[in-house]
Amino acid sequence: MIHLQLGHLGTASVFLAFGLALYATVVGALGAQRRDARLQTSARLATVATFLVAATAVAVMEAALVSNDFSVQYVANHSSIGSPLWVKIVTLWAALQGSILLWSFLLTAYTALLAFTAPLSPLRPWALAVLSAIQVFFLGVVAFLANPFHTLASPPANGPGPNALLQNNWMMAVHPVLMYLGFVGLSVPFAFAMAALITRRPGSEWMVQTRRWALTGWGFLGAAIVAGGWWSYEVLGWGGYWAWDPVENVSFMPWLTATAFIHGVQVQERRRMLKSWNVMLIALTFCLSILGTFLTRSGVISSVHAFAAGPVGPAFLAFFVAVTLFAFGLIALRWDQVRDRAELDAVVSREGGFLAGNILFLAITFTVLLGTLFPLLVEAVSGQRVTVGPPFFDQVTLPLWMLVLLLMGIGPLLPWRRAEGASLRRNLAWLAGGFVVSGGLALLLGMREIYPTLTVALAGYNLVSLGLLLGQALVPRVRLTTRSPWSVLWSYAHESRRRVGSMVAHLAIVIIALGVAFSSGYRVDQQVKIDFGKSTTFQGYTLTPVDRFMDRSAAVISSGAIVDVSKGGRHVATLRPRLNVFGSSQEPVAKPAVMYTFSHDLYLNLDNTIGPNTSYVVLRTIYSPLVSWIWFGGLLLVVGVINSLLPARRRWAESRAEAGAEETSPA
Amino acid sequence: MRKVVYAVLGVAVLAVAGIMIVKALNNSLVYFVLPNEYARDPQGFAGRRIRLGGLVEPGTVKFNSQTLTLTFTITDSIKSYPVVYKGAPPDLFKPDQGVVVDGRFKNGTFVGDQLLVKHSSNYRPPKPGQPIDVNMLKKTLQ
Repeated sequence: MIHLQLGHLGTASVFLAFGLALYATVVGALGAQRRDARLQTSARLATVATFLVAATAVAVMEAALVSNDFSVQYVANHSSIGSPLWVKIVTLWAALQGSILLWSFLLTAYTALLAFTAPLSPLRPWALAVLSAIQVFFLGVVAFLANPFHTLASPPANGPGPNALLQNNWMMAVHPVLMYLGFVGLSVPFAFAMAALITRRPGSEWMVQTRRWALTGWGFLGAAIVAGGWWSYEVLGWGGYWAWDPVENVSFMPWLTATAFIHGVQVQERRRMLKSWNVMLIALTFCLSILGTFLTRSGVISSVHAFAAGPVGPAFLAFFVAVTLFAFGLIALRWDQVRDRAELDAVVSREGGFLAGNILFLAITFTVLLGTLFPLLVEAVSGQRVTVGPPFFDQVTLPLWMLVLLLMGIGPLLPWRRAEGASLRRNLAWLAGGFVVSGGLALLLGMREIYPTLTVALAGYNLVSLGLLLGQALVPRVRLTTRSPWSVLWSYAHESRRRVGSMVAHLAIVIIALGVAFSSGYRVDQQVKIDFGKSTTFQGYTLTPVDRFMDRSAAVISSGAIVDVSKGGRHVATLRPRLNVFGSSQEPVAKPAVMYTFSHDLYLNLDNTIGPNTSYVVLRTIYSPLVSWIWFGGLLLVVGVINSLLPARRRWAESRAEAGAEETSPA
Repeated sequence: MRKVVYAVLGVAVLAVAGIMIVKALNNSLVYFVLPNEYARDPQGFAGRRIRLGGLVEPGTVKFNSQTLTLTFTITDSIKSYPVVYKGAPPDLFKPDQGVVVDGRFKNGTFVGDQLLVKHSSNYRPPKPGQPIDVNMLKKTLQ
């Protein structure tokens, strides 16, 4: 009975991992409390053991999925023999139980990595204990509430396979993993912040130690959100990528607070201000990621009455409450130490800009939270079933986003402490020039919609700002050397990695903003009916459904239309919008066909079933300008983060210049 | 002095933001109702965007494939309304199927721009002649 053993091995590893995490928490906390090096070492080793055992659990699940072992309940419920190998592998995170297993595993991996790479400091034992405590919760959920390894006495011959919408696109393989890497990454600075409070060392130590982790987590979360948008675009057939859906919102809120955090950190590093603010931001980020899991996994969002439906929901709610009480209680307890003593010297300063930006990010977070939770509130009070539509989120957040873009341009140009009149006025004049020229150009080209036009103006303004920043850094360097400006730029990018990384990230945000503004402001969305062999024109393109097709494989049956796309008599693309039916499910899911170009996308979604005798196709045709800029911007954002993370090359140019200066200076 | 100015400014900004948010929330709340619930208070929903849920009444479905206009009657067995939807019927659209339409009422006709077919394993349309359990229907369609 080899297959029975697989399920049992999985359950055993999950319980063992849970026990080890518990050990690491208790012994780690004791060791930290008593400053006992032996206990601390024991706890550190336990985190590594937890990781190895959790890795075993994941490996067992993968083995069960790949070998179609339907005696394991999770495999029986969510996998299918006919699925391609990649679908079987990613089925690990296609449903709730497996996702939590993956999340736990990533958490143990980060903790073990941290146990061996974090420098020895008074913070480390406590941070590891906090992370182990989080592991106890997650592994406890896996072991006691959502064990995917339950074995079935009479296994079915085949399973239904994962949700069709998830199978429809390879993005499903990427998006959830990025999301969990983001959440887990951000729990590292959270753990260090808590350790700092526990040990009464609320200085900048915890932040400096976890700067890379925070940035990594933030980068993964951002990449996950963009990837999720792309998945939605490629799969859901409405040509959009963001619908302010609760599931989207709950991943967006921790990203917003984490964005505020990575900016706030810099103020604390430079000016020793915003101490309590930063601790609260990272605590908020962690709490929101747990709240999000609760909201999306418990079913409360779709109905209050499903409140007690799943066993996982109440557990996450309880954990959310416990973590919130613990974190904010601890902050209150240590308020005297984290409270800021310094005051802002002037509002118009770098730190003033950072603070204003932070307030904006929190305001957006609050808006999203309100819009997400409001239906719950209304239903609880009046029993009325309501949804908060996208207009709410757009109306409230768009002005705030414009302010974010405004600050993003001026903030980095402001000096710390206090801006001088003359240089400030010069910079402002340049920025205003960029704003007016690009805004005016947009108006001349016929743009009239307020937000897209404003976004173009602010994009020009931000490009000028980036140019000024780069110019002010490079011009003196170029003057000092005989090297070419390009080689100076190259070495600057390697030396001032964080600075250049932030410029790249800001450029990426400008690109994403333009993509969002144009694709939502100027998209054309029509439904057309075309007989086979006939043509219709849409946005300058001639669409001709030339034939129908049907593909059959073990996992999926697709049928659709072959649409010839031409422009000015020249063939440009052949698109195959289709309907897919996966495995045993009867429900067809549409798979749109997209022609990506630099300036716009042509997006076709099939709205009718194509059978052998169908004489026409009904297409939802969407023309969406600049939408691919969003995906490119997401990629660039990741590049910016990576650049910030890489170790800075030794400032050889500077040290050489210094050496030269010493030689020539009169002794 | 400076602190007082900041505090007053802060409160003012918060107040304005609060009013704007409440207004925006109120404008974009979309109520989910069954035909009989709408019939009780048509004035209350006048001009509002709503999600109307119900069953497709058999024998009322017409689809004009030239203009891509779908018309049918939506019912919860107590009250029925004609629905006009611009677009092709979704694949699972059929008589007695539970549907949710987003849109607005215009002169007694519901003009929808989004049509969702709700499939559920726990709701079975009643046999002809038997009444519909309205609460059950509403729960299923949510």
